[in-house]
Amino acid sequence: MAPFDLSSPMSRSFHARAILGPKLHDQLPNLKVLIVGAGGIGCELLKNVVLAGFGQITLLDLDTIDLSNLNRQFLFRKKDVKQSKAIVAARTASAFNPNVQIKPIHGDVKDPQFDLAWFKGFDVVLNALDNLDARRHVNKMCMAGNIPLVESGTAGYLGQVQPLLKDRTECFDCIPKPTPKNFPVCTIRSTPTQPIHCIVWAKSYLMPQLFGEDEDSTSELDEAEKQGENAQEVANLRREAQAFKSVRAALRSKDKDTSSSAAKMAFQKVFYHDILNLLSMEDMWRFRDKPVPLDFNLIQSDQFILRGQVTSAIDISADSIPRPANEVRGLDGRPNGSPVGSNGSGPSSSTKSGHGLKDQRSLTLRDNLALFALGTERLAARLTTGKEETILFDKDDDDTLDFVTAAANLRSAAYGIPGKSRWEVKEMAGNIIPAIATTNAIISGLIVLQALHLLREAFDSLRNVHAQFKPSAPLSAVKLSLPNPRCGVCRDAYAFLQCDPSRVTLAEVLEDFDDNLHRTLESLNVTKGKFLSIADEDGELEVITLPSARYRESNHPIDGPPMILPDPLPEPGQRVKSITPRPSTPPSMLPRIQKRPAPDGMDEAQPAKRARIAASSNSSPRTSRRLEEDGLILIDGDESVDEDIVVID
Amino acid sequence: MSFNESQSQDIEGATTAIQSQPDSKTRRYDRQLRLWAATGQSALESARVLVIGASATATSILKNLVLPGIGHFTLLDHATVSPADAGNNFFLQGTTSIGRNRAEEAVRLLSELNDNVDACADTRNIADVLASDPSYFLGFSLIITHNLSPVLLTRLADLLWENPSSTPLIPVRSAGFLADFFVQFHTHEIIESHSETSPSLRIDKPFPALLQAARALDFDTMDSTDHGHIPYVYLLVRTLDDWKATHNGLPPQTHADKQNFKSILAAQKRTPDQENFEEAIAQAYRAWTPTVVRPHLVELFNDVTLPSTPFGHLLAALRSFSERPPHVLPLSATLPDMKSDTESYVRLQNLYRAQAAEEREQFRALLPVPLENELVELFVKNAHGVQLLRGARYGALDTAPAKLIMYLDNLTRETATHLALSAWMHSELREHVLTLIPGTELGKKEFSDAFGEIVRAPAADLPNVAAFLGGMVAQESIKMITKQYIPINGYCVVDLVDTWTGVLES
Repeated sequence: MAPFDLSSPMSRSFHARAILGPKLHDQLPNLKVLIVGAGGIGCELLKNVVLAGFGQITLLDLDTIDLSNLNRQFLFRKKDVKQSKAIVAARTASAFNPNVQIKPIHGDVKDPQFDLAWFKGFDVVLNALDNLDARRHVNKMCMAGNIPLVESGTAGYLGQVQPLLKDRTECFDCIPKPTPKNFPVCTIRSTPTQPIHCIVWAKSYLMPQLFGEDEDSTSELDEAEKQGENAQEVANLRREAQAFKSVRAALRSKDKDTSSSAAKMAFQKVFYHDILNLLSMEDMWRFRDKPVPLDFNLIQSDQFILRGQVTSAIDISADSIPRPANEVRGLDGRPNGSPVGSNGSGPSSSTKSGHGLKDQRSLTLRDNLALFALGTERLAARLTTGKEETILFDKDDDDTLDFVTAAANLRSAAYGIPGKSRWEVKEMAGNIIPAIATTNAIISGLIVLQALHLLREAFDSLRNVHAQFKPSAPLSAVKLSLPNPRCGVCRDAYAFLQCDPSRVTLAEVLEDFDDNLHRTLESLNVTKGKFLSIADEDGELEVITLPSARYRESNHPIDGPPMILPDPLPEPGQRVKSITPRPSTPPSMLPRIQKRPAPDGMDEAQPAKRARIAASSNSSPRTSRRLEEDGLILIDGDESVDEDIVVID
Repeated sequence: MSFNESQSQDIEGATTAIQSQPDSKTRRYDRQLRLWAATGQSALESARVLVIGASATATSILKNLVLPGIGHFTLLDHATVSPADAGNNFFLQGTTSIGRNRAEEAVRLLSELNDNVDACADTRNIADVLASDPSYFLGFSLIITHNLSPVLLTRLADLLWENPSSTPLIPVRSAGFLADFFVQFHTHEIIESHSETSPSLRIDKPFPALLQAARALDFDTMDSTDHGHIPYVYLLVRTLDDWKATHNGLPPQTHADKQNFKSILAAQKRTPDQENFEEAIAQAYRAWTPTVVRPHLVELFNDVTLPSTPFGHLLAALRSFSERPPHVLPLSATLPDMKSDTESYVRLQNLYRAQAAEEREQFRALLPVPLENELVELFVKNAHGVQLLRGARYGALDTAPAKLIMYLDNLTRETATHLALSAWMHSELREHVLTLIPGTELGKKEFSDAFGEIVRAPAADLPNVAAFLGGMVAQESIKMITKQYIPINGYCVVDLVDTWTGVLES
């Protein structure tokens, strides 16, 4: 056989060249690609990007490897558990082709060092993320920097790939995304009616109260009061929160007697005294089932009577509330109202079947009591050894999952709500989305193909693709939509602001628009990696957004100008009028992004602004809402400082 | 009383007995168990898969079967690793693998993905094995080939098709950005189809205990709390019963009837936003949508050749069950969530459970042979979605010109791409297609596109196409192995130039 000639047509790059054509293929080794996320999609994607011939790859992920990743994140092995995903993935993939440069970063894409200047160093960005927040952040950076982006996601058998390019396609935020479901504070704290209410209570209230940072959770209650929730109830909840102090102290006590009684103390407080206290508010229970205070000792000796039944005969899990255990385990292993998979079908195995999994079995009231005590003790032990100062819920941390499972089920029992198995609690509390290798493989293959279309500027070939798991049509691919003219992210004009935020004042940046404010950007929290948005109060013009970044020249002199703005400054586009009618505003207040702000009429502007926010909140995320979320600066007609939004005139 | 040490030990003991924390295998597979559950996982772990050809596509498919934990795989390939292989197959050790056997190199790297999977490289030539040891192929539960030559593929497909055990075969073909794959099987039984339709609550045909309970409620004496917590099932059953009494025993028929029915429900509210009545109005369609046996089941029941497998017996019993009045499937014990107080909900749930248990026993009595309880329960629970698929022989479509001509009219790009792939490896693409469909007009754009791609990138196993196919084919394999979900029935045709997939049903 002839010696292997790597330069022959059958060389390593033969296939890559065939796919891309010689021109793009020859560029690939010099193209810089950023992969955000080294999880299920990220691992597949890294492999594909290496095989496609990209030469300079940056891989960023803040997460570490967990055992439950190994059913799909194929660049990781059991021995890698708890190590950085980015670093291990880069190491495994580098072995395939040493000529490819893979730079791993163990970090958060939202960290300030990853500012616009950093993003602009990439030719294309590929998202392999699992959360909305980071997706929106990367989208905004790519819109600001005009960088091609391919967005993706999978959930069980379903997946999506969407190429995004400023001005040419929709951006990620052009279509509003559903926000995670929120429950009213009082439902969680006083009047739960569903298992999820008790799980949220255990995970987001009880856990932080006992094991989290020592802080008054008054802001949440202030908010509840503002929202018009029952004032008496809120006052009561305030007292309840105060009373956690002694339990917290016991949990952290090095004195053995105190600490060993801490679990019981916690139990007595939340499942006995707090419930008694709530019962004293008779109005609350006029139209509701009353909760029952739980008795630690009686439950432990199987003598507790809950709603007319002795608890030794009670199995609170699986289906419904107190019923004889033999009946609960009867017919149908599928719990009532159990969570379903993303495509509407959940696991169908019966808990009583021989294949049943240990943590899918249902727990009796006594089991839950024992699990609560044990979980509390374990968590307390972790605090007292001093290794951890606070412990928050983590679905992969068994102690916290045990604690939350038991606490949620005990609370459910008190309120006559069906219990849940540990397996179900994990899914509900951990927002677990089923994930498999196959869907990630399908999606990652498509991501690179769409990225290549973007790089070749073959815009007609771009597709928004869904893997939809239908036997008759496995994929659905549609041409891309144009930007939503009312999008608060990609319709903004962006001006790159290179500056030293400790020296630049807002006034200097805005000298064309404003002349009163002399606080530095730093003091306003506009440091690098942040955006400064200049909004036209009257909604006539699009927003100008200034992404703040370090100087592009690495040796910018210390006494050099504190900021550099592009010349000429971008003109904001004319905003598409909102269809929603809003109070008309005097013409004198119009364009203030022009030379001088209008001197008057500002007080009247306020109601108009509020009306606009309210009217637009369920369409695309308008700038005003986005600003509130991001804590940025809104130039507006009022001098008040409202939380994170700096409003100036 | 304080919480003393002995209590603490008790609790430690009790919790050890609870053993709520899952073992490491369950944790590893957590995210997939939430889809196919322990039954699916155990099917995967008993599977023995043979993959023929250690190409980039084949190893991509295998990767996606090794990760979720199939029991065993064999990779059969006698070829040695070429430089092109080294550049596009991630499961080779780069240039170090060049010159070594492809199967052995790939198996070594694939095995690293999951310790629980038993792996084997077979370096024999498939042509020799087919000639000398055909029974070898029958020892597998699934066989996948990638770009196997048409002659060998036909020989393998025939061998499997003609054997009664009928190991399913998935031939995959790809050239450049084009690909197709097919699943050859005789019959495929699916109990857990994960149907998106939920079973009927039988509002229109209430069983006696349900009707009685609905009638027995005394709305007038209820206080407003109780009235606000009557489950909508009762509200519908009762309102429908009243309706039928004044409408010759018929449910609402016309649009006007249906609106009228909803207003009758609305009129019973005590407050304008009474949730349980709102639910009843939203679910009112259940009152006039008859509970019937779904068409795909009727079709199955009319099939006289039900297999004499446990599944066949279960289907036969289901047919007998549905032939008796009230002509429905056994009741499901699962109730959806609804506005209710706990007590009423539990009472209602108990009614459904008791009736479901009774009907399950009636069903069991109809079984021609006794079967284990677990299987019967699983079947009854999923009865409304069970499927018995009948497959086709690989290549049958290519020998049916009439069907091809019909497909060419309706599914032009899918058919043209499929034919181009069938003609591939024959020196004259167009002439080969003409032998399949004599007299076909090959001037269509769809043909020139497909031929053009095949000529441009013959046999080029493009990494991203391989990754995509790896996901698609492994997914179909998992459906076949677990007997859950409904597989693609026919040729799945893929074009990643224009990004589409299509299905040519067999």
